[in-house]
Amino acid sequence: MDAPDTDSRHEVAGDRTPLLRIRGLGVRFQDFEAIRPLDLDVLNGEFLTVLGPSGSGKTTLLRTIAGFQQPTAGRIEFDGRDIADVPINRRPFNTVFQDYALFPHLTVRENVAFGLRVRGIARATRDARVEDALGIVELEDLGDRYPAQLSGGQQQRTALARAMICEPRLILLDEPLAALDATLRRQMQKFLKVVQRRSGITFVFVTHDQSEAITVSDRICVMRSGSIEQIGTPRDLYYRPRSRFVAAFFGASNILEPCRIESTGEDTTMVSTPFGTIRVDGPPPRVREGLALAVRPEALVPAAGDACNRIECEVVSVSFVGSETITELEHSRTRHVLTMKTRSDPSTRQPVVGSRLEVGFDAAACALVKGARE
Amino acid sequence: MTDKRMTGHVPGTIVLWAICILFILVPLASFLAYGFLPVIDNAIVYEPTLDNFVNIFSNSSYRTTFLRTMLLAFEVSVFNFVLGYATAYFIWRRPPAWRNALVIALAIPLLMSYIIKIYAMRGVLGTNGLLNSALLAFGVVDEPVSALLFNLTAVRITLSVVLLPFMVLPICVALERIAPQVLQAAADLGASEIQTFRWVILPLSLPGAIVGAMFTFVLASGDFLAPELVGGIEGFTFGRLVFSQFGLAFNWPLGAALSVLLMVVALAVISVARRLSNPRWQS
Ligand SMILES: Nc1ncnc2c1ncn2[C@@H]1O[C@H](COP(=O)(O)OP(=O)(O)OP(=O)(O)O)[C@@H](O)[C@H]1O
Ligand SMILES: [Mg+2]
Repeated sequence: MDAPDTDSRHEVAGDRTPLLRIRGLGVRFQDFEAIRPLDLDVLNGEFLTVLGPSGSGKTTLLRTIAGFQQPTAGRIEFDGRDIADVPINRRPFNTVFQDYALFPHLTVRENVAFGLRVRGIARATRDARVEDALGIVELEDLGDRYPAQLSGGQQQRTALARAMICEPRLILLDEPLAALDATLRRQMQKFLKVVQRRSGITFVFVTHDQSEAITVSDRICVMRSGSIEQIGTPRDLYYRPRSRFVAAFFGASNILEPCRIESTGEDTTMVSTPFGTIRVDGPPPRVREGLALAVRPEALVPAAGDACNRIECEVVSVSFVGSETITELEHSRTRHVLTMKTRSDPSTRQPVVGSRLEVGFDAAACALVKGARE
Repeated sequence: MTDKRMTGHVPGTIVLWAICILFILVPLASFLAYGFLPVIDNAIVYEPTLDNFVNIFSNSSYRTTFLRTMLLAFEVSVFNFVLGYATAYFIWRRPPAWRNALVIALAIPLLMSYIIKIYAMRGVLGTNGLLNSALLAFGVVDEPVSALLFNLTAVRITLSVVLLPFMVLPICVALERIAPQVLQAAADLGASEIQTFRWVILPLSLPGAIVGAMFTFVLASGDFLAPELVGGIEGFTFGRLVFSQFGLAFNWPLGAALSVLLMVVALAVISVARRLSNPRWQS
C-alpha cells in the first residue's frame, strides 16, 4: 500500500528520498473522476515524466500539485509535511505552463525578474541573477523584447528561466514543448535535460509523446483514465511493460492474445499463443490469467534459423520508410497479423509480397503483460 | 498584411470612404466652415476671417466658461476613473453568470434616451428626491437640502452617473482579456493578491481605463443637456454656450467657431489617449 511500485522504484531511487509523497490523491469534477485515488512518490532531484493519452488526467495531477486544483481526496506531503493548507504563492514549486502564460506587458527581462521582485530582492542582486538565468536559457540578447515579439521556442525558454530563477524545489512543466516544431522540440528536450541535471531541481514533466518521455526522463509514470498504469525507468517501460496498454504505448505493437501459461521455470516461461508455443525469458508472471504477449516489431527478424521462437508467416505488405522497412505479416494458420520492422539495407532483398517467410525472435525480446480484459 | 487587405477590396474601400466623406465629413466641414465667416449687422458675410476666434479668446467670460468646462470634464473623468475601475473590478471578480448579468445591466442605460436619464437624475437630486429622502432617513440632515440641484455639483453628479457605463465597459473588456493563466502564473511565482493586482492586473487593464477616461472627458466637455437641465445659472458650460449661439442668439458663425474649439480639444484628448492606450507591448 505504501509502496505502489516498489520494484521499479528502487532502480532509480537508490538513496534518494521522496520530495513529494502523494497518497490516495483523488480529484473529482461533479460525478466525473479525473484522478482516481493514487499514490506517487516524486524523488529528490529526478526528472519524472507523466505520460498518458489525452484526458488521462495529467494536467489535473499537475495542477493539483501546484495548488490550482483542490484535491477531493488524499494528501500531498512535501518534505514530510502535508501542504493542503499552503497557498499557491507559498509553495516552493514553479510551473511552466503549456501556453507559457508570460506577462504580455513585461519584457523578457522583467518577466524573468518577476519572482524575485515579489520577494523584494534588491535591485542589484536581482539584475545579476536575471542575467545569469537569461544566460542559461541563451536569451541574453532578447532581454528587452516583449513576449509578443518572441518565437515559440524563445517564449518557452523565457517561461523556463522565469520558473527557475525562484530556485524552487520542484518545477512542474505541462507539455511545454507541444507547440514547437520537431527540430526545436528535440533541441529543447536536450536542453531541458541538461538544465535539470545542472540545477539539480526536481522536474515533473507532462507529455503525451512517448519518445519525448524516453529521451528526457529518469522515470516515467504512465497514466490511463485517471490512474497510474505503471511507473519505472524508460528501459523498464520499454522492455518490461506490465500491461497491454503500456506495451502498445511504447510501440510493442504485436500483441499475441489470448495466452495460456504452459509451464514456468526459474527464468523462463512457456506460453501457448495463437502463433504456437513461445518461450519467454524473465521472472515468471505474478498472475496466470488474462495475459497477453507483447513483441516489439523491431525484435522480429526474418529467416532466423537460430532464434528460439519461430513463426511461419505470409508477407502481406512491405513498406520502405527510409532507414527502416516495415513488413506486415500474416500467420499462415490463424491469419493473425504481425508487424516487423527491420533496418533497411540496400544489399539485401526486400521480402516479396505473397511469399512465405519464417520470422523469429528472442526469448528475451518479448514481455508477458496484462491483457485487454482485466 | 495591411497592403493585401487594402488592395484586396479596392471597390469596397472606395465605397466606404465615399460614404464617410459624403455623409460625415462634408456636412461637418461645411458646418464648421461657418466659424470662419464674420457676422456684420446680423447678416453673415461670406469672406473668411479669423474674427470669431479672436473674439472668443479676447472675451474673458468665454474663457472662464471654457476653463470651467474643462475642469468639470476633468473632475468627472478622474472621479469616474476611480469609481469605474472599482465597479469594473467588482464585476470582473463575480462568477461568470453574475458577471454577464451585471455587464448587461450596465449597458441597458446606454439604450435609453439621454434626456430621460437626466430628468431621472433631476428627480433623484431634487428637494423631494431619492437622495434627500435617504439623507433624511439616515439622519445626515434635518431638512431637505436644496443645494443638490441647479448648481455645478448637480452637473458633476449627473454627468458622473450618466457617463459611468462609458468608463466601466472598456475596463471590463480589458479585464476580460487577461488570460487566467497569466494570473495563475503570478500566484505561482509567489505574488500575493495585492502584488498581482499592482503588477499584472492594473497595467494590463489600464489601456481600457484610459479609453474610458477619454470617452468620459470628450462627452462631458461637450455636453449641454445635463448642465442645461440640472446646472442652473452656476452650471453654465461651454456646451450651453454653443447651444445658446445656435438656439437663442442665432449667431451660427460664433457657435460654429466655439464648436471648432471644442472639437480641437476633443481630437487632442483622443490622440493622447490613443498613444497611452496602445503601449509598446501590444504589438
Ligand atoms: N474543470 C473541469 N471540469 C470537469 N472536467 C474536467 C475539468 N478539467 C478536466 N476535466 C476532465 O478531466 C479529465 C482529465 O483532464 P486533464 O486535463 O487532466 O487531461 P490531460 O491528461 O491533461 O489531457 P491532455 O493530454 O489532452 O491535456 C478529462 O476527461 C477532462 O475532461
Ligand atoms: Mg493536459
